[in-house]
Amino acid sequence: MGKIIGIDLGTTNSCVAVMEGGSPKVIHSAEGRNVIPSVVDPVTHVVGDVAKRQIVLKPKETIFSIKRLMGKKFSDESVQNDMKWLPYTIKSGRDGMAVVEVEGKQYTPQEVSAMILQKIKNDAESYLGSKVTQAVITVPAYFDDSQRQATKQAGEIAGLEVMRIINEPTAAALAYGLDKKNAHTIAVYDLGGGTFDISILELGEGVYEVKSTNGDTHLGGDDFDQIILNYIADQFQKENGVDLRKDPQALQRLRESAEKAKIELSSAQEAQINQPFITQGPNGPLHLTMTLGRPQLEQIVDELVQKTIKPVEQALKDAKVTVKEIDEVVLVGGMTRMPKVIDVVTKFFGKEPNKSVNPDEVVAVGAAIQGGVLGGEVKDVLLLDVTPLTLGIETLGGVSTPLIEKNTTIPASKSQVFSTAADNQTQVEINVLQGERPMAADNKSLGRFVLDGIPPAPRGVPQVEVEFDIDANGILNVKATDKATGKAQSIKITGSTGLTKEEVEKMTKEAEAHAAEDQEKKAKIEARNQADSLIFTAEKSLKDAGDKVPAELKTEIEGKISDLKGILDSGSKEDIEVKTKELSESLQKVGANMYQQQGPQDQQAGEQPAQEANPNADGQAKEEPVEGEVVE
Amino acid sequence: MVGMNKKHEETDKENTKDNEEELLKVKEDLENQLKRSVADYQNLEKRIAGEKSSWIRTANKDLILRLLPGIDNLFLAEKHTQDEGVKISIAHFIDILKGEGVEKIEAVGHDFDPVLMEAVGTAAGEEGKVLEETKAGYKLFDEVLRPAQVIVGKREN
Repeated sequence: MGKIIGIDLGTTNSCVAVMEGGSPKVIHSAEGRNVIPSVVDPVTHVVGDVAKRQIVLKPKETIFSIKRLMGKKFSDESVQNDMKWLPYTIKSGRDGMAVVEVEGKQYTPQEVSAMILQKIKNDAESYLGSKVTQAVITVPAYFDDSQRQATKQAGEIAGLEVMRIINEPTAAALAYGLDKKNAHTIAVYDLGGGTFDISILELGEGVYEVKSTNGDTHLGGDDFDQIILNYIADQFQKENGVDLRKDPQALQRLRESAEKAKIELSSAQEAQINQPFITQGPNGPLHLTMTLGRPQLEQIVDELVQKTIKPVEQALKDAKVTVKEIDEVVLVGGMTRMPKVIDVVTKFFGKEPNKSVNPDEVVAVGAAIQGGVLGGEVKDVLLLDVTPLTLGIETLGGVSTPLIEKNTTIPASKSQVFSTAADNQTQVEINVLQGERPMAADNKSLGRFVLDGIPPAPRGVPQVEVEFDIDANGILNVKATDKATGKAQSIKITGSTGLTKEEVEKMTKEAEAHAAEDQEKKAKIEARNQADSLIFTAEKSLKDAGDKVPAELKTEIEGKISDLKGILDSGSKEDIEVKTKELSESLQKVGANMYQQQGPQDQQAGEQPAQEANPNADGQAKEEPVEGEVVE
Repeated sequence: MVGMNKKHEETDKENTKDNEEELLKVKEDLENQLKRSVADYQNLEKRIAGEKSSWIRTANKDLILRLLPGIDNLFLAEKHTQDEGVKISIAHFIDILKGEGVEKIEAVGHDFDPVLMEAVGTAAGEEGKVLEETKAGYKLFDEVLRPAQVIVGKREN
């Protein structure tokens, strides 16, 4: 049962994804990147980043943009145009089809593309740890039969059974699940590294049909980089009288700076360009230091962004739909990260575009989903719910102790051992809570019940196991069991996930708003609980040790106990902590004292922490009931 | 009448058979689904175990990558000023990086290797030999962190 991988075989970069556990996952290349440059040295079979690094050295042997030649006749006008700028040799092969020639040997575009696919296949296999034999490959919506056929052949040469060829915009729509959302008419705006495509799709019988496509085969991120580079170089020339474009080394650094600034300005308002010693001036080295602001950048690239609008208008016209009839807009391609591009698209369509999926990966993700559907994986996959809010119980001091954290995939269960807060406590009340606030009173109580019949024992000794079990339908079962007697009590809550979106949002927001004060309140209660348990320990130690404790020390400790007790409810967190520390220090003297008297072997009492630890329990049964151990 | 009864029986039989088949199909589907989920989960666990060790080693990768342009500039400063202090500063910096598993790629004088280097230009010289390094490259635990940018020799024809 091999996996069907989804491949975006791009002009500039390619990307591959696969369905795992019901969701698509992009597979990183052996070089650790999410995309593979579509660059090939067909003689040495070197592909991707490594091939790209030798382009300067072997311009005639390194093939890029091979997609532009796929399934095309040599006489095709576009091939003739591309020949003018592509550095490698293009010739007319069998049946007049365009082929590339490297070191006297001819390679069809299929063969070259197959080498890219072969690398993708290898990288996917090493990631998945199993053979990959089937794939879904995407092509531009405007690809004709011959081009699609060529793409399929490329897959076959690479040893992949091409289960389906799907359109890139359709894949993008699948990645956003727009078919499930019943979005009828959608526009896919794809601004990549070297090409711009706009497609209008319509949903019919559960499948997207391409109504129209348009675009610009030579408009993309590279043009943006170039225009930014020119701007920086012009500025530099104005200030220093030197044209950096004439110095190859400076040009290289300039190119990197331009691209970096462009990327930075997608998230920041300002980008620093710092290239010291960029070139030699008449009076010594010159440094390029410049701050590029986002408004400046947007001004520089405005013309390029506006250039995309005309094809969009034409595509709408060809599809015979108006802007208003577009239900959803999808952004594809790295350039759509630029806020300016998002702005222009949003303004044009009058609605927020879908952009949450990484635009470099969205097509491959959609192809993987299609692969999952074909492999029967997507249809079958269980849609598992998550708990929208944390579920827990109330513990000593009104604290809400979480058992199942929010966003846990259900079904899930968890249990934790708690204990009693007072000596001879024979019953515990379980208050089941829902919400993110640390204090029980601020959360929603889903239900409560009492477990009684606990045999009288000192505090902290009884072990009450509380088990939360939430099934796939969100029905929560809470069960409390006294481990000593086996006595159990439970409650079934059906409404644990039945909250409206608004309710969940409100509760989450409230938790955020009150986070600071809640934390303070909780810290105080924790300090109080700690003090309380130390008092208990101290009293017990004194009792156990009897007259082995010098009277002087006993008085000292008793004094401190009563001090601490006095401020337990009224004092500030800091005061309680100070007094707790003081008592703890005095208490340590008891242990030290007893060791001196009896030798180190005897460790009856007085150790710090002095606990009535239950040796055969996996739960530590500390005196703080809040800290039960998880037993799973 | 008899004939009709018989017909009824047959339809009933067929219905039961249909139901059975359907149930079997559902069962098969569910089993398949369960196997798939468990397999995905187990594979994920295996992979995470493997990836964890590499995560720990390469957790600093992003930070180091962002630090490299700073060192590039120091190299340039040294090249242009020939300042002893800068030289020492660089040596110190490289030493710190070494401690984190970062190693400089030796390029000049070596054969051009696209796995470790990126050609940014050519110049007259021995064919295929690296003549000059315009930007240093680094490896992190034997993985290429950033290839060295180099100028490679080309025989003039």
